[in-house]
Amino acid sequence: MNANTTIELTQFLFEMTTKSEREWLENKTKTNVLDLMTAFVAAPRFLSKKNISYDDKVKGNLIPHLPGYQVDGWSLVHLARVWLLLQIPQDPKEDCIKNIETLFDTAELNELVALYSALPLLPYPWEWLSRATDAVRSNMGFVFDAISLLNPYPELYFPESAWNQLVLKTIFNRKPIHLIYGLDRRKNKELAISISDFIDERFAAGRKIPPQILRLLTPFSNEEHSSTLIRMFASEESGEKEAAALVCFESKEPKLRSLLANHPELELSIQNGELDWSKLESIP
Amino acid sequence: MCQNPNEPKKNPSHFESIEHSEDTPTHRDLLWEDYENLIQGMRFFDPHIHMVSRTTDDYQMMAKAGIVAIIEPAFWVGQPRTGLSSFKDYYSSLVGWERFRSSQFGIKHYCTMGLNSREANNERLAEEVMEILPLFAFKEGVVGIGEIGFDDQTVLEEKYYRLQLELAKKAKLPVQIHTPHRDKKRGTERSMSIAIEHGLDPSWVVVDHNNEETVKSVLDQGFWAAFTIYPFTKMGNERMVSVVEKYGPERIMINSSADWGISDPLAIPKTAALMMQRGIPKDVIRMVTYQNAIDAFAKSGQIDVKDFDLEFSPDPNAKFHGNSVLRGGQQPVINKNSLFIQ
Ligand SMILES: [Zn+2]
Repeated sequence: MNANTTIELTQFLFEMTTKSEREWLENKTKTNVLDLMTAFVAAPRFLSKKNISYDDKVKGNLIPHLPGYQVDGWSLVHLARVWLLLQIPQDPKEDCIKNIETLFDTAELNELVALYSALPLLPYPWEWLSRATDAVRSNMGFVFDAISLLNPYPELYFPESAWNQLVLKTIFNRKPIHLIYGLDRRKNKELAISISDFIDERFAAGRKIPPQILRLLTPFSNEEHSSTLIRMFASEESGEKEAAALVCFESKEPKLRSLLANHPELELSIQNGELDWSKLESIP
Repeated sequence: MCQNPNEPKKNPSHFESIEHSEDTPTHRDLLWEDYENLIQGMRFFDPHIHMVSRTTDDYQMMAKAGIVAIIEPAFWVGQPRTGLSSFKDYYSSLVGWERFRSSQFGIKHYCTMGLNSREANNERLAEEVMEILPLFAFKEGVVGIGEIGFDDQTVLEEKYYRLQLELAKKAKLPVQIHTPHRDKKRGTERSMSIAIEHGLDPSWVVVDHNNEETVKSVLDQGFWAAFTIYPFTKMGNERMVSVVEKYGPERIMINSSADWGISDPLAIPKTAALMMQRGIPKDVIRMVTYQNAIDAFAKSGQIDVKDFDLEFSPDPNAKFHGNSVLRGGQQPVINKNSLFIQ
């Protein structure tokens, strides 16, 4: 977190508030930290319930050092809460951490969402790692989403095992993995193994396969995957066929590449740029 | 509350008056088929129920019976908490997990926050709880400070009752008063006079667990009078019908206070059915089983009845809109009659 972030965010927030809302927010920064924390909690009682709106130029450029950080779909309260968190004094470190921990410990659902979405902006980002990995285990959908989807924190700070858990749980929860920030950048071999096991299990259970997940196999696909891919080509689901074709197309394995020869129409549409992974993205 | 563990037959509810537990329950004998038609299309609001000690089956039955919203007051979980963390976790469950669980069945969940009278007697812990209580009192969906008041009517109970009345004023929240089982009449009067002494408007105060002895004074002084329909206790719902016949529906509301005791989360729909049978007009029933509770607690600014109308769908895809976070993680309602477990 740097000073610029606060300035950018303050300007952005105040553009959306009424005069009295702005005054309420500003007053809270002038008192003690307990008032600030209570304001974080009480925000919905003093701010309008509207969703924030902004033009596409700002989208993804709101925080200069975190390109892509999104506030899409946020409410004014959500944004104000993140802003209030950034007003908590950062020194001394122990106090800052204790105060934010207290907010986590006492938070309800919407507050948790605000807290987790603020993680990449908060000071001392490593201090929140165990909370963040715990949130991935949450069985409350909103909490899980707040850490897992459209949040740069996991990509930046999660160790590989926690990252892989996040991706797998997103798949299990039937949520769109392409909303995971940094998905392609953090592909890894271990994850590819888990994905291929998962696909085998789904086959065995006679269940459908979310075709998107095959993107996680590349570039780790190998000969062992050929039987899985052959089965997917034989599927009645067009998405499964298309995903199999994309894996083969991206593979460096001659054996996998050769599977595509039986499906020239798919190969052609990939070559023409008509078929890519984004065509398989669905929400959810 | 288990006053006397040697009397297992007595019902251990926090409402119960052990000395008067010989009443025959009436509404518990009603089967869904018996009253389903009587309450068809009616909607109910239970302003006092402890879902933290109820099962998911209860939620399903409640939704089916027309309960669209509930208030869960913070109270006694049956054994004393030993540290601040247990309070934090309990309060968090009221605004977090329990609200989420309720939403899975299309029931809007609110709560009231407070330090209960029994635990007010542990001064060291009570002090700590009072420090974090504001962080909970101001939360979304917190519709009051409750349930607070007296149990043994000790000095410490009075101290924390007064402090919490002040918090209610500061947070602009209604107050939900738990009246004691022993020495009820005096405890009720004392609760009301202290509330007035602190400058609370009686129309912001719900006095709970009334009976025939207390109702008149509560209404005369301008407070809301809530009645708990709890099996084996003094207030069965046949007598509830008589109270409504005698005092009318003004400022009277009914709740189940269902908790970890032998209690009935369907007490309200069953009582409504009984009232229908006895020929009480439908608009009167609606007031005491729905509207009055809303009017009393909506002063918190936290109740929007439009929320009750939101189309409930267990389909996790249905609520996704735009680019906002997914309203996911929702579990479909399982068909229990199906032989197949999918
Ligand atoms: Zn209670």
